[in-house]
Amino acid sequence: MGELQLWLVETLSSVDAVSTLMRTRWAWPICETLHFFGLCLLFGTVGMFDLRLLGFARGIPIATLHRLVPWGVGGYCLNLLTGSLFLLTEPDQYVFNTAFHLKMLFMSLAGVNVAIFYLKLFREVKPVTAGGELPRLAKVIGGASLFFWVSVMVCGRLLTFYRPYLCDPDPGFLLNCLPYG
Amino acid sequence: MDPLFSWVESSAFSVWARESTSIFAFPTFLAGHALGMACVVGINVAVSLRLLGVTPGFPGTELKKVFPLFWVGVWLAVISGTILLIAYPTKALTNPFFYAKLVFVGLGVFQIRMIENRVLGNPDLDIPPNPKWVRLLAVSSLVCWFGVIATGRFLAYTYGRLLVSW
Repeated sequence: MGELQLWLVETLSSVDAVSTLMRTRWAWPICETLHFFGLCLLFGTVGMFDLRLLGFARGIPIATLHRLVPWGVGGYCLNLLTGSLFLLTEPDQYVFNTAFHLKMLFMSLAGVNVAIFYLKLFREVKPVTAGGELPRLAKVIGGASLFFWVSVMVCGRLLTFYRPYLCDPDPGFLLNCLPYG
Repeated sequence: MDPLFSWVESSAFSVWARESTSIFAFPTFLAGHALGMACVVGINVAVSLRLLGVTPGFPGTELKKVFPLFWVGVWLAVISGTILLIAYPTKALTNPFFYAKLVFVGLGVFQIRMIENRVLGNPDLDIPPNPKWVRLLAVSSLVCWFGVIATGRFLAYTYGRLLVSW
């Protein structure tokens, strides 16, 4: 994986326009602010929907709560954009960072969970009205979604504490240190 | 204020919160602070979208059922925030952004309390469409939380002094 990671860092760092912009005085904290607000949009809307899948607030029809989802997708896109700006500016601080690896893992799992929801469950639960019971799979998917997104957030917040140092000569399969010098 | 700051900073708890290399010290408080924020602002997002008519046609009392989670988020953020403050009192209390953040927090909590008590219990919610002041409250509460997030983030980039001794 080390070769691939090095190639990735080199490719990402070649986008000079982004890093020039991001290194201006206020760009980074402004993007972090948007990143945190995007996270709240995603967690508030998708998380609310997940709680309904788990059996809370049963008085709300599924189709009604599903109208929140586009706002969550909006928050997700905002974070994809701002997150990409961070990554393009300081690629080696993320590509060699264990917390970032885990964050990507949990984001992928959350994505798979969303796919399973729409492929296997959505058609069945969409007509469920106020007070309606949901199949057991709904609880599994709702609970998994909450767990994955909380994990994404925690890993994101822990990024700072896994900033990579220069490698000791023996890097593992997935590099979590700076292989330079 | 320096004597007070240095008294706090030299306390065993402050030193531990600041200097412990354990993942269960500073990293955990930061993660807890972020999770608290996500619950607080997230629930306000869901409530505001209801009041703005994105999710019409169900009683507001259903949203009141998730409010315990809002208060869990508030306490999580307050407790972790207090610990972070004890770890770095000079850093926060000498920065005007910190006081702006407290003002935004106060306004945000005040507005969601008003929504909880005066709006969500109303059986006529959105039939007829929500009055203008309710929509205004839905937007302005989110603006305040955005202010909390922005001032909180800027705190990390604008402090003049980190510790008394620095």
